[in-house]
Amino acid sequence: MSKLHEKNAAQKARLLNAEHWLCMERARFYTQAHRETEGQHPSLRAARALQCVFANMTVRIEPDELLVGNRSSHLIAPPIAPERGDFIFIFDHLMEELKAFGYRISETDERFLYDELIPYWSGKTVRDAKIAAFRAHGLVSQLSVKPGEIRRKLRSFGARSLWRLVVNGQQKQTALASVARLPRLLRALRGGAGDNIKGRGRCTDTQAHIVLGHKNVLRLGFSGIAAQARARLESAQTAEERAFLESVELSCQAMRDFSDRFAAAARTQAVDTADPERRAELHAIADACNRVPWLPPQTFAEALQALWFTQNAAIISYGAGSGITPGRVDQLLYPYFAADLESGVLTRPHALRLLEEFIIKLNNNVIIWPNIGGVELNHLGSDVENITLGGVDAQGEDATNALTYLFIEAITNTNLATTASFRVSNKSPKNFVREVVAIHRETNSPAFLNDETAIAAMVRDGYAVEDAREYCLVGCVEPSGNGDTYGATGGSKIYFPTALDLVFNRGKTTFFGNQDGADTGDPAAMATFDDFLTAFYAQLHAMVGWVTDATNLRDAIWAERFHNPLISSTIDGCIANAKDMTAGGARYNFGAVGGGGLGTTVDSLAAIRTLVFDERAMTMGELRDALASNFRGHEALRQRLLAGPRFGNDIAAVDGLARDVVARFCAMVSARATISGGHFKASLISYGLNVYEGALEPATPDGRGAGMPLSNSMSPSNGAERRGPTATLNSLTRIDHTHIGYGNSLNLRLPVGILRSDKGVESVAHLVRGYFDKGGFHLQFNAVDTATLRAAQERPADYADLIVRVSGYSAYFTRLGHAIQEDIIGRTEFATCG
Amino acid sequence: MRLNDPEACRVFDVQRFSIHDGPGIRTTVFLEGCPLRCGWCQNPEAFGHSHAKPMPTAAILAEVLKDEDYYTLSGGGLTVSGGEPLLHLAPVRALLEDAKRRGLHTCVQTSGIVPQTHLAGVLGFVDLFQFDLKHMDSQRHRQLTGAGTERIHANAAWLLRQGAAVQFRMPLLPGLNDDAENIDATAQFLNKHGAPALCLVPYHRLYVDKYRAMGLEPGVQGLEPPSDALLAQVRRQLEQHGVVVTVEG
Repeated sequence: MSKLHEKNAAQKARLLNAEHWLCMERARFYTQAHRETEGQHPSLRAARALQCVFANMTVRIEPDELLVGNRSSHLIAPPIAPERGDFIFIFDHLMEELKAFGYRISETDERFLYDELIPYWSGKTVRDAKIAAFRAHGLVSQLSVKPGEIRRKLRSFGARSLWRLVVNGQQKQTALASVARLPRLLRALRGGAGDNIKGRGRCTDTQAHIVLGHKNVLRLGFSGIAAQARARLESAQTAEERAFLESVELSCQAMRDFSDRFAAAARTQAVDTADPERRAELHAIADACNRVPWLPPQTFAEALQALWFTQNAAIISYGAGSGITPGRVDQLLYPYFAADLESGVLTRPHALRLLEEFIIKLNNNVIIWPNIGGVELNHLGSDVENITLGGVDAQGEDATNALTYLFIEAITNTNLATTASFRVSNKSPKNFVREVVAIHRETNSPAFLNDETAIAAMVRDGYAVEDAREYCLVGCVEPSGNGDTYGATGGSKIYFPTALDLVFNRGKTTFFGNQDGADTGDPAAMATFDDFLTAFYAQLHAMVGWVTDATNLRDAIWAERFHNPLISSTIDGCIANAKDMTAGGARYNFGAVGGGGLGTTVDSLAAIRTLVFDERAMTMGELRDALASNFRGHEALRQRLLAGPRFGNDIAAVDGLARDVVARFCAMVSARATISGGHFKASLISYGLNVYEGALEPATPDGRGAGMPLSNSMSPSNGAERRGPTATLNSLTRIDHTHIGYGNSLNLRLPVGILRSDKGVESVAHLVRGYFDKGGFHLQFNAVDTATLRAAQERPADYADLIVRVSGYSAYFTRLGHAIQEDIIGRTEFATCG
Repeated sequence: MRLNDPEACRVFDVQRFSIHDGPGIRTTVFLEGCPLRCGWCQNPEAFGHSHAKPMPTAAILAEVLKDEDYYTLSGGGLTVSGGEPLLHLAPVRALLEDAKRRGLHTCVQTSGIVPQTHLAGVLGFVDLFQFDLKHMDSQRHRQLTGAGTERIHANAAWLLRQGAAVQFRMPLLPGLNDDAENIDATAQFLNKHGAPALCLVPYHRLYVDKYRAMGLEPGVQGLEPPSDALLAQVRRQLEQHGVVVTVEG
């Protein structure tokens, strides 16, 4: 029985049943202003564009809502930022797939998109400029479709595996329809390959991934921020500085005007509302919107409205898919909550209602992508607005408060795929972890973050300890400063298995087929495992170099052409430095490089060491040939590889390889400088893309077939963990997590049904505490629900680690007979999303 | 190597992160060999057909200590199970003694069908005995397991007299030991010995495929796990006798 407030239940139902639209309002008005401001300073152009969007876009007040602020003309329609180029690329190549997937677009919008928007932006976007810069610097590795290369790809990947890349796994379609799509999709892939960096590196068009300076908005209001900019203008030295500061003032004013439009809309709606209760709510909304976020909020309700409205406006300003993060919401809002409870203007149930609505709104986002190529990104909540809860304050004291617990209640009641990060420290309340674990009984799994490790990592990267203690989680699990950092924590990525591919193919990647890097020698001639490792690290080093060079080129384009004075105005440092965040205005500046497929790579290295060099069960030449043919004709050899030692089983020698790969990778990344005076930080996170990432990766020496998923994040390979969760955690903590500045994630699969008992919940809480005591950074549990068990029946190899436990007995789910499996499925009653 | 080599146990499984085999998070070490042949036994490896290799106690302990931090946090430790882990005294005594020396909490899951000297031999190194009461009627017990209750009950009484911590457990087997008469007799037994608490362990069928894989057939066929209603009914009946009931697994 859901405890969700009935008005929120109605809002949630509308959200779950809403159609997904492509709305051109943000794109249209931004472009209109952009055309009119040719030649002006990029900060001013951005501020004018924002003004135009905020003044003209649809303002909606949904039934039952108490917090207002919409992004587009429909309930679900992500704001589209054409200047970045990523949206244009998708619309240019994949509109048919988007429509087939269920996205709708009005005729007017579609005409505008193809007749005006795409022609106008052609050659002007970040993406266009980025690809040109990559080409000019020799960083691009284009997909080669020469007959010889096609043959080689077919041999290495097999037609079936290549096919999976271009068909939509979720939709049934005829072979004929798929064949008809193929030429266009291949063009899309080649087009997409225009920003394929040597060594299969990836550098997205966007930067962002930042924690907004909500703290400053709540403290000062945009009126106060505008006043700061005005004051700073007096000492401005250059036209650049003046342009930025003026654009901040314009942006603040635009926020006020935008909010006033909502106040007016609420008053209009109130006139037509018969229900006196709703009429009163609409008047309250109107009053709040006239005050905040222009003025500092005076109540909890106003503070939440200011926070949500600012969050929403920032996402409109940057466009969807940008990782704009609210941050430590329990800390930001607590003073208002406490004061209002004390004065009696707020009741706890009403606060809960507001938080539930806030959580529902945080789930109203999707990434526009049609789910091809193994990417499944467009479920509700996928464009994550991660909230951070709990943890220590700037002084290092526990800051878990009553609102933290109220958020737990709101997340549980709401039962959506909410991305919530729970900071845990040595000083957290005794039962805190247990209470958060218990959320799993009702809804999707929250993440645990270790304060001690995260803060140590932040300090190592140059944060003052007081600032480090205020860290928030951005995107998936990237720790970043609280409204004081421009860090672009996501977007640039390499894959460790590519370094293996480059060694085996002497500087070429199998999928792209070009001579990307140096020939590190004939693998068959390598006499020792150290020889292989030396070549592996040489290739990895080159990959880090290419991807960071590319990232700096992209960042320079943003700094030169596309500013965001609205978001900048909230970030510490930008006004003082009179500089946009993209140009290095923030107090702290960093770049990011993600590393993918660690488990796959460590298992591969372990197999090479054990089977080729220690046991001499195969030669390097045999292994190379087996990989090049995707094990066709080498099944016995593949079975040997599959039986090799695996990361995640508490085997010191294997885990040592993981420790070394991570330490070396992080050192390579940290040694690279960004254009804003900071350095790059490493992360080991998959964003759920490991299936797609694996699709382009040939067979690996762990026995994984070509095109199969890579291991995700920092987790062991799927199905590799055979010694239970404590063994996996011990393996993971042989790695020093404080080197990994932008975080890593471990998604642990729990024994089936463990959370049904209090002892189970408590034991899982002990797992968290134990892992964190040993230095682990992030831990999240894959809820084992019916869908998981069904998937395990279909693909047992991927779920070989799924355990069923009872007293004195444990069994691996996939090895049980069908009847018993059905029995267990019948007993596993977990609530699923929705 | 001799079977009762004091330095080695015949281990057929080591299960980390066991949370249903005593307090906290534990590692359960399963030892081969059992004088009983319960038709519902979930660990037929213990019968000795699988020929588990002797494992030095030092190696077992090293494996167990890998999760020491989790025991400390949760109040867990080592559980020795089987088969009947006290069947061969010397090796299990060595293991438990070493574990106690390392400060681990120790638990032994026993059927009680062992010489009293074996219980006496490990008494000083065991923090908790989990002691099975499968059926109160000796003849019925013999039908179900191959042995009567006399020695089991005498051992239970002896352990309690020594002041040992004993948790009695009863596998709840629908149709085999869930009748009112047996439940009453179990409650009376517990009350008589001043230990009015019982942990019910509901029967499950997870093991049946394992038998087939080993080329064996379970002794009991067609047994279904107890329903929630049955579990509640048995619990109620025990509680009427003043027995504190917990349910495990």
